[in-house]
Formats: sequence, C-alpha cells, structure tokens
Amino acid sequence: MTETTTIAHPAGAGQPEPGSGGAAYIELVGVSKSFDGALAVNNVDLSIRKGELFALLGASGCGKSTLLRMLSGFEQPTSGDILLEGQSLTGLPANQRPFNMMFQSYALFPHMTVEQNLAFGLKQERMDKREIESRVGEMLERVQMSEYRKRKPDQLSGGQQQRIALARCLVKRPKLLLLDEPMGALDKKLRTRMQLEIANILESVGVTCVMVTHDQEEAMTMANRIAIMDGGRILQVGTPDEIYEQPNCRYTAEFIGSVNLFDGVIVDDEVDYVNIKSPQARNTLHIGHGISGFAGQPVSVAVRPEKIQISLQKPEQAFNCEAGEVDEIAYLGSHSVYHVKLGSGMDVLVTALNDERWAGERLTWQDKVWVYWDEHSAVVLTS
Amino acid sequence: MKPAGRRWRLPGQHWLLVIPPYLWLLLFFLAPFAIVFKISLAESTIAQPPYTALYEYVNDVLTLRLSFSNYLFLLTDSLYFDAYVSSLRIAAISTLICLVIGYPIAYGIARAQGPMQSLLLMLVVLPSWTSFLIRIYAWMGILRNNGIINTVLMALGVVDEPVRMMNTELAVYIGIVYTYLPFLVLPLYSNLVKLDNRLLEAATDLGAGPVSRFLRITLPLSMGGVIAGCMLVFIPVVGEFVIPELLGGSETLMIGKVLWGEFFNNRDWPVASAVATVMLVVLLIPISLFHRYQFREMEGED
Ligand SMILES: Nc1ncnc2c1ncn2[C@@H]1O[C@H](COP(=O)(O)OP(=O)(O)OP(=O)(O)O)[C@@H](O)[C@H]1O
Ligand SMILES: [Mg+2]
Repeated sequence: MTETTTIAHPAGAGQPEPGSGGAAYIELVGVSKSFDGALAVNNVDLSIRKGELFALLGASGCGKSTLLRMLSGFEQPTSGDILLEGQSLTGLPANQRPFNMMFQSYALFPHMTVEQNLAFGLKQERMDKREIESRVGEMLERVQMSEYRKRKPDQLSGGQQQRIALARCLVKRPKLLLLDEPMGALDKKLRTRMQLEIANILESVGVTCVMVTHDQEEAMTMANRIAIMDGGRILQVGTPDEIYEQPNCRYTAEFIGSVNLFDGVIVDDEVDYVNIKSPQARNTLHIGHGISGFAGQPVSVAVRPEKIQISLQKPEQAFNCEAGEVDEIAYLGSHSVYHVKLGSGMDVLVTALNDERWAGERLTWQDKVWVYWDEHSAVVLTS
Repeated sequence: MKPAGRRWRLPGQHWLLVIPPYLWLLLFFLAPFAIVFKISLAESTIAQPPYTALYEYVNDVLTLRLSFSNYLFLLTDSLYFDAYVSSLRIAAISTLICLVIGYPIAYGIARAQGPMQSLLLMLVVLPSWTSFLIRIYAWMGILRNNGIINTVLMALGVVDEPVRMMNTELAVYIGIVYTYLPFLVLPLYSNLVKLDNRLLEAATDLGAGPVSRFLRITLPLSMGGVIAGCMLVFIPVVGEFVIPELLGGSETLMIGKVLWGEFFNNRDWPVASAVATVMLVVLLIPISLFHRYQFREMEGED
C-alpha cells in the first residue's frame, strides 16, 4: 500500500502560459453527480488552465461544493470524467490525488502545533526529515507565520488559522489547490484584507487554484476567470469583466452586480443593429450591433446602472431614452444611486458620480428627469 | 492561557452549584475514609468495637495514642505486598484486555448511523440491567467442569476430560473484563462520537490512508476517552473482591480478598483499615490522572 501522491506525467507536455488560451490543464467532461436521484451537478464541461485562479460562483445549493469534492476525490462523479493533463482521475482516491483542499472550517488538527500541521502531509509522502523542516520553514515564512510555529491552532486568530490552513495545502506543492468558501469563517473587515493577501500568496506560489464562493465581490477580486453556476449547471465562464459586461443570461446579469432588465420582443433584426419594443419602456430600445436572433423573439435588455445617464434636460436621442421621476436616492458619498420611476411603473437604477461642486446642483426627490444610455451600453439576453 | 477572572464569572451562583457535590463527597467519601484512617491508627483488642480508642481525657490530660504498628505490620508480612502487586497486575492486564476489546466496539458504535447507534449502545448497557451477582453466577455455570463450555467440548469430542477453568486466574479475567467492559466503552464512545469528520477528510486530502488516519488523528484525539475509560476499569478492579472470590481460586491473590479476610476472619479491624488506607494511597495516582483528563475533556467542551 502506498500513500504517496504520484502521478505519471505525459512526457514532454508543453506548459502553456497561465491564463492564456492554451491547452486545458484540468478538464471536466460531462461531469454529473446525483444524490438519491436528485442531480446536484448536471453535465458540467469545464477546462481550467495551468496557473490560473478559477472561481465557481453561485447561490447556495447550486452544487459548487459537490463539484469541488469531485475534483478532490471525496465524491465520485455519477457520470463523466475528470482529466489532469489529459489523464483520467477516475478511481484515484482522494489521498492519492495530487490536489489539496482548504476546508471552509480549516480543519486544522487541534492536537498538533502549527509546524506539525504543516508537516503532516509531507510525512505522508515519506519525505526526508530535513527536507520537511526546510519546506515547512519556508512556507511559514511565506505566510508570515514563522513566530507562531509552536502554537496550537486554538491559540490563533481566525485570519492566522486561515493562513495556516492555506500553508498546509501549499507546502505539499499540489498540482491543484481547492478552496471551499475560503473567507466563509471570517468577518467582513478581515475578509477584504485576506482576499488580497491570499491572492498575493497564490500568485507568488504560482499554483493552479479552483475556489468556491457565493460572494461575487470575492470572486471578482481574486479570480482570473469565473464560472457562474445555477442548479448544478454552468451558465457562463469568463473573466470578471466579461461576466460583468457581457452576461449571457438573465441569471448571470442579475447575480453579478445590479442591473436594469427590460423584457420585450425584437421588432427589427438587422445586421448592424437591433430594435426592441418593451412594455416597460415608452421608446424603442436600440442596440448598435447585430445579434443572432429573429424578429418577434422574446428577449431581455440589460443595462447596468452606471451606464445610464440622468438629466433634467431631454437628450437629443430618440432611442434608449425614458422620462421618469426620482423616487429614491441612496447617497453613498462618492456616488449616489437614484431610483427613477418610469411612466410604465418600472423602477430604473442609475448610479451617478457626485462630482458637482455644490450639493444644491444635485437632483432631488420628485425631480422630473430623463434617463438615457448609449446604443452600445445595453446587452440583449435571450435566456 | 485563560484570563483569571473567567472561571469565577458568577461567584454567587457558582458556589451554589458547587456545594452539593462537595457535601456529597464529604458525607459519603471523606467521612467514612476519616473513620477508616482513624481505626488504622488504633490497636486491636477483644472488645466492642474491636479496637482501642485514639485518645483519652483523664485527669485534665488528653492522651493521644497513635499506633503505626498496623502499617509496619504490613511491611513485615510479604502477603500484603504480594497482594498489592498482584491486584495491580490483574487490574492492569484486565484494563488492557478491556481496551483491546472495547476500543473497536466504541469506534464501531460511534461510526454507526442513527437508530443502529442507539441499538448498539443499548446492547452494551443491557447486561447491567440484571444483578451483577446473578451474572457472575451465570459465568460459574458456563465455566464449571460440568458447565456449558465443557459439556459442548466433550460432546464434540474435542477434549476427553473437562478443561479446568473455574477457580483459575483465567476465570477471574473473564469475569472482570465481562463486568467492566461497559465502563470503558461508554466514555470512549462519547469521546469518539465527537470526532470531527472533516479532520479525517483533511488528513485524507493530505495523503493519509486509513491506518495513518487512525494512528495520527483518531487515536491521539481520543486519548482523553481512553484514559477516562481505562481508569474507570482500573481503579475499581484493584479493590475487586466478589469476582476473584467467586470465580478465582486460592492462587488468585487480590487485596480485596485480603481485606475481607482481615475484617471478617481475623476481626483485626485496625490492620484491615491500614490495608484499605494504603490501597487508597496507591490508587491516588490513577485517580488524579483520571480527574485531570476528565477536567480537560470538560474544559474542551465549553
Ligand atoms: N452528501 C449528500 N447527500 C445528498 N445530497 C447532497 C449531498 N451533498 C450535497 N447534496 C445536495 O446537492 C445540492 C448541491 O449541494 P452543494 O453542497 O454542492 O451546494 P453548494 O453550492 O456548495 O451550496 P452552499 O453555498 O450552501 O455551500 C444540494 O441540493 C444538496 O442538498
Ligand atoms: Mg458549499
């Protein structure tokens, strides 16, 4: 019986640049998982590149953890396959996979010191004692926990425990690091600090990492690429700005940031523009580029609040322009969020920078205003 | 390190809670022990009670008579020393056997799911619903020369004449292990059931197989339960009288039997009291060990 983590490499496999569109490092092919007949993960195809920080983002119960546990080997897919550098991992138990997982609860061993916790995984590899010592020391330095090496986990703060949990994974030099809700056990203030700190550590180590989170801000801050999950399916994969600027469905648009959605049908479908009529808008919604749709197709038009202008004067344009009344204002210092009630009854969110010199110049409640946006600011969603 | 103020957060209520157990200890442990200790310092006489008074107050003079002869006597006769050693040996071996049998049982119960777990726990406790004496007599019926085991063995032709098991040390071990096993299984179970499964998952994730997981995570984390369970077996077994008396033979020397002999056969209460006092002193080490771990367990819970 061997407990060491060894896996054969395909000889001479070229390593693509991190984050570039190179060959997949880890690949999920049609992976599904059902518990007692209920699908927790539904036919997921995903490819993860070497060196990237990949985030699985979705609401509670959407199957993120299950997907992560299949990667770690704690759960076996009901169908489909997981490949590492082209080799199937099916049947390889968790203790033999060259992957390490940081648990949401950290799962530090309470009866061992910080040092012993870090050495645990290396001892399993039957590594030389001196080698273990030097690797542990090096890793503790990297996470700036050297002076705590003799402490027990219950003598550490939440943030320190998290760094040790991370170090315990990284010291094994895993081919893939898995993080399940890495900030879940921290309070809000510490969370923001640790997000940057962990992202920095991961970058300096250069490890490939898949993290699970339901916090969009966390995913946007830390990840190179994000997959949006809902009901066990992956809805969209992309960089944070792709996901934000070009959502491909209502769910993604609404899940990431806030958005104004007009439901309507396509009336003109041309090569270089689309016109859409919506009962929520008096004027035509005009998109300055063609889409793959057809006249009469029901669609949604998504416009982010910061892409909308607000003004007391009627703008020149005949499209993408609605009259309304300021219903509510959330003053947030640098900017304000205006809730504008349109004639149709729809509530439109608009964010505007507070860059005027006099507060008196600002819009106020019950002001009759115009909201309008550019022909390239809106996104058409077909699902 | 805990802040000093913490343990005494609510002094008034705290004392109300603490007083009853201390009163209990005082009444049922300390007072009887004080009496035994007092008798151990007296001398044996043929009188009622069969020992001399510790002090006299005659003509305004208080005379205190403390006799250490009983303790010195224990040193002169090697019977006592041998009995102590033999008791400790039998207790230690029985504890070890209980641990070897009891750990897998406790582990199995702790890992069992829902109703199965309650059922298994019930099976562990169930025998103690019948009287201890009846169960020991039942063992006599099983181990006798014409008992169940020998009858079966002879009927099957495995042996020609009965195997002698009654009145041997083997019978004593069987009786002790049988009787005291639940005392080891229950505290160990309550420790093992608290073991966080995520720690085992983390160990697996770091490359540990089942053996390594057990030796490096489960076993060290269950040490409190192991010590508690072992002490709950070891401490009473050292003074055990009924099992060696009923199942053991004359070669099984145990301090409980010696004690009984001094009290009831020799009617030498002072020597018997000295024997009992020394036994308590010998047991102080395992008792304090037990309490330290018990305390640690409880501290870990709050
Ligand atoms: N071991 C299991 N047995 C049965 N059902 C399970 C099991 N694990 C997960 N599920 C189910 O699978 C679905 C997905 O669960 P999962 O834990 O992957 O969600 P999640 O996205 O991680 O949610 P959260 O953000 O709340 O952690 C849920 O409906 C859950 O009830
Ligand atoms: Mg989860």
